[in-house]
Amino acid sequence: MLENIIKDYLINMAEVDPEKFKQPGLTVADLQLDSLGLLEMLFEVEDKYGFQIPEPMRFLSMSFAEMVADIEASVRAHHNGQMPALDAAQAGG
Amino acid sequence: MKRVLITGLGMISPLGADKASSFAGALQARSAIRPAPPSIAERLPQVLVAPAAAEPDQLLDKKFGGLDRATQFALVAAQEAMLDAGIAAPPDDAARFGVFAGIGFGGAHTMDKLYARHFEAVHASGQGSRSPTVLHPLSVPRMMSNAPAAAVSMHYGLRGASNTYCVACASSAVAIGEALRAIRHGYLDAAIVLGTEAMLTPGTLMAWNALRVMAKPDPVDASRSCRPFALHRSGFVLGEGAAALVLESEARAHQRQARVLAELSGYGCSSDAEHLTAPTVLGQVAAMRQALEEAQLAPQDVQYLNAHGTATDAGDVTETQSIHAVWGASARQLAVSSTKALHGHLIGAGGAMEFALSVMAMNSGSLPPTAHLDQPDPRCDLDFIPLQARHDCDVRAVMSNSFAFGGSNASLIARRPAP
Repeated sequence: MLENIIKDYLINMAEVDPEKFKQPGLTVADLQLDSLGLLEMLFEVEDKYGFQIPEPMRFLSMSFAEMVADIEASVRAHHNGQMPALDAAQAGG
Repeated sequence: MKRVLITGLGMISPLGADKASSFAGALQARSAIRPAPPSIAERLPQVLVAPAAAEPDQLLDKKFGGLDRATQFALVAAQEAMLDAGIAAPPDDAARFGVFAGIGFGGAHTMDKLYARHFEAVHASGQGSRSPTVLHPLSVPRMMSNAPAAAVSMHYGLRGASNTYCVACASSAVAIGEALRAIRHGYLDAAIVLGTEAMLTPGTLMAWNALRVMAKPDPVDASRSCRPFALHRSGFVLGEGAAALVLESEARAHQRQARVLAELSGYGCSSDAEHLTAPTVLGQVAAMRQALEEAQLAPQDVQYLNAHGTATDAGDVTETQSIHAVWGASARQLAVSSTKALHGHLIGAGGAMEFALSVMAMNSGSLPPTAHLDQPDPRCDLDFIPLQARHDCDVRAVMSNSFAFGGSNASLIARRPAP
């Protein structure tokens, strides 16, 4: 689910070519986001899960899969190890 | 000194989504003033507003959807003005083409939403609540006052100076005047000037309400509540929108055989150095006389003046006295109107919008009226074009006044271009 939130944002709002996500070993750098674009992408997650993701620039040297896994770990760390159901997380905020 | 010509106009206002419909609304005395929407009326049931005639994001590419409303208004007005001027982007001489913007409050919608979101989160409780510090990462670049100038500079690839003037109600009149000077004195060959404002938000209107300058609703017809120069006037109504003007040196305009709308011929600016909100005759007279001197015109050479005319007691009487002081015995031959009765007070956008309306009045020979002026205040004893537009007028030069809180005064003059 988290991966879809990020992909949907990148395709629909940041005009990233959907074909890129078929590429094995896709890196965050391949997305060609500038620093503001990266922050806007992360805000999609922050807004839904209610906390600010630390040190965003570290993602620039990760693969896309590593970034998603890292963000998921952050979400779980803020929600007692769980991935909250999204409607509940949004309703809470 | 180089002549500076106006070659394009654009507008989105409470009277219309473009310049033609806005000017038509002013001539028809079609008021855009109405009660505030529920989000504001909930706590301020007496407050009136003049919202823009169209939603700006509907008139722009979707990539501009996240920008503050004031920046979106500026982009809409700029789009019409650049098209009107027939200028392709980026121009070949981009480094000699500047952006001059006037805005009073900056990104008021972004700021209001930011605090609303913060305090909602502070007051929310329970599992899964959002941290009050999670805010949109572009909040700062969206609400900064120079966001409209930046957006227009980037969108059109204009690489000359992009400067923003924050002079309350005179912001965009000053922006026009400073762009005139930049071109006249050779720092630039062309500029687009923007006046924009979008502050019809609950937070901003509470602040204005506290100042006790807002018009009280007319008990019969809310749209008639703002009555400049009238005996029973009670203050102004806030409006929103933007206007844009393309200015070029005479040489640049002639070289590309541009259609010329008017010559921007005079600008005056002064400070009262007296009071935070009360105007003075001395300061206003200084601004008008400077503008006339620069335009090399006698007062009698100006046939129409778009007054600042906010419908406050002090403002209208002071401006009347100032016009008497400048025009002397011929003051009553001058046609004057305040179009704020119809479109409200656009604060930072007001100067550009009213100057643009004045240029359209000159070029069409039709002068917009001062609406709702059934009973003039005897202290306001000029020809205020009451109630109905005047047509078939021979207008060779126009003036527009913008007088700001803080005591800043600006006057602009346009004249018909030399043949």
